[in-house]
Amino acid sequence: MRSEESAVCLVDDDPLVLNSLRYLLASDGIATRSFDNAETFLAHIKMHMVALVVLDIWMERITGLEVLTRLCVISPQTRVIVITARDDLAARAAAMQSRPLAFFIKPFGDEQFLAAVHDALEQTKKS
Amino acid sequence: MTPSEKSDQEIAVQMSERDRIGKGDHEKEEPFYAGQGRILEMIVTRAPLADILTRIVLLMEAQADGLRCSIQLLSNDGKRVRHGAAPNLPQAYVKAVDGLPIGPRVGSCGTAMYLKRPVVVTDVLTDPLWADYRDLAKSCGLQACWSTPIISSHGDVLGSFAMYRQEPRGPSAEETRLTEAATQIASIAIECQQDHIKLREREARISLAAESADLAFWVSYPEQNSVWMSEKGRAMYGFTLQEPLTRESLLSRIHPDERVAVEATFEQARASQRTFEIEHRIVPPYGKIRWVIARGRFLWDEHGNVLEIIGVTIDVSAQKQSDLQLQAQREELAHLSRVALIGEMTASIGHELNQPLAAIANNAAAARRFFDRGQIEPAILKQLLADIAAASHRAGEVINGIRGMARKGQSTRSPLNLNAVIDETLRLVGSDILIRETAVVTDFDSRLPGVEAAPVQIQQVLINLIRNALDAVETLAPAKRRIIISTSSLKGETAEVSVRDFGTGLPADGPEKVFDHFFSTKAEGMGMGLTIARSIVEAHAGTVGAENAEGGGARFFFRLPAAKGMPISKAA
Repeated sequence: MRSEESAVCLVDDDPLVLNSLRYLLASDGIATRSFDNAETFLAHIKMHMVALVVLDIWMERITGLEVLTRLCVISPQTRVIVITARDDLAARAAAMQSRPLAFFIKPFGDEQFLAAVHDALEQTKKS
Repeated sequence: MTPSEKSDQEIAVQMSERDRIGKGDHEKEEPFYAGQGRILEMIVTRAPLADILTRIVLLMEAQADGLRCSIQLLSNDGKRVRHGAAPNLPQAYVKAVDGLPIGPRVGSCGTAMYLKRPVVVTDVLTDPLWADYRDLAKSCGLQACWSTPIISSHGDVLGSFAMYRQEPRGPSAEETRLTEAATQIASIAIECQQDHIKLREREARISLAAESADLAFWVSYPEQNSVWMSEKGRAMYGFTLQEPLTRESLLSRIHPDERVAVEATFEQARASQRTFEIEHRIVPPYGKIRWVIARGRFLWDEHGNVLEIIGVTIDVSAQKQSDLQLQAQREELAHLSRVALIGEMTASIGHELNQPLAAIANNAAAARRFFDRGQIEPAILKQLLADIAAASHRAGEVINGIRGMARKGQSTRSPLNLNAVIDETLRLVGSDILIRETAVVTDFDSRLPGVEAAPVQIQQVLINLIRNALDAVETLAPAKRRIIISTSSLKGETAEVSVRDFGTGLPADGPEKVFDHFFSTKAEGMGMGLTIARSIVEAHAGTVGAENAEGGGARFFFRLPAAKGMPISKAA
């Protein structure tokens, strides 16, 4: 049985981006848990019920797209916000197939991004 | 009978008459040493030898009454008597003696030259040496003849000096002393002229050879500070045919930028006693600046003094021009392909820039939000600002990298550690590698020798090889997409960089063909990248190669010569 996890998970292999996400969410009073690689996040989600993950696509070894595929199996109820520094349609289409809530291209506006995070958390509560 | 057909007897009589009148002669009045001085001056100023010898004879004749003298030369083959000077001997006698073979019984002169010692004949009418020439002597009124060989400084016979008298007797002490002086001066005069002829002949011969090979030939005599130069050379350096040349006039024609280097090269050649060779420009007073190569060496005497510097100068302007054009074209091509490369890489460059920009935007937004809520801790604010600064710095580096690639004329070479260049390049193409879901492993030789190269160009080569490898593994499953970039030192003399992929490999027949123009195994490839990579490496005196690697896939490598005097690099 997985334990409840209230914190939003952040997955990005770029430490500068990862930290900035953590601060941005903290400035809005949202608790987070950071992962600088996909493997440790996947290990974490096997043990915990995660409501929302902010996931980068282009990471070394295991990409965000692969994480998305695995999430469908491990934790289908987890909501996902995909972020990427590269706007390519193929990745976007692939990501959308795995029912994420939002797709952001870095750099993005803080208002829209935080709104998307709040929406996702609201929906989790409702469901 | 015309005056020119006077008999020798008559001339002899006239001579003695003139002798009597000639007491008040200019020659007679001139002190002996002053006369000697004038003759030495003639030798130094390279007056014609015949004039000098005549002057010697006249000076000697003026020292005693009734004395007649002559100087005979030894022919080049050392076998015959050649007329030197005999201004006051009968023409018939002079003509008869000229061309006689030397030998043990050929009058006084022929015998003296043959025996290499003075021959004193007190009476030609009775002496056996004169048996064949008795009538000739008699008809000319000559009865005593004392001849002394003129010996060179090397001990060779150059000719003979003879004194004639009209009465049968041997030389007086005074006459012996005069003979000594005469042979010494004559020896100097003849030797100088022979040396001069030899020198001119040598110069003429080399000059002929040089000119037919389109070379300028020159000889510099440091002691006299004079320079001799062939006609072609004078034309090349912009000197007129007559103007005297010195070391300074030669140096004045060398381009100011290379003058110091040329002098240093000369000095080095002098010190090391080796030949010199230097490429430099000549700036003639009119006409175009020429690129030349000057080669030559120093010649020493047995005491170690520099006798002369001989050299040739070759005009390589045409060759240089095409070299420069080729280099410019190559650089232009390399630049264009770099710009094209950047174009192809915009997506991944965008990724590289967007990451730090996102961090900056997020951190700035976070700070503003903390402020709005009126609860910001100084420590957090400090951290946010530090991260913003770090991200800006990283974005700047990415831009600098691109700008370096896009900039023109990036051909300045500097000492490089290839391991470090590979690391830098991987940062530049990092996101490309990421997006293509390929694992790139590096295996660096920590004892890789440094190289002398243009960093941007080497980066260009690496990017081409890496992108080539990425293309090669594209069709594989992501887990199998692997590239190994390794460096190794070949005997410490060469640095090798190898990019190995695990793709389908190269055509078995001639994997090297991949470096040829427009050769491409890829559907959309132009095949230019590798060609440019090769031209860059070859411009750095290196080599490129491609082969099928053991265990599948292809291995591309390039090798650059180790830079001299550069320490072996520690790991990048």
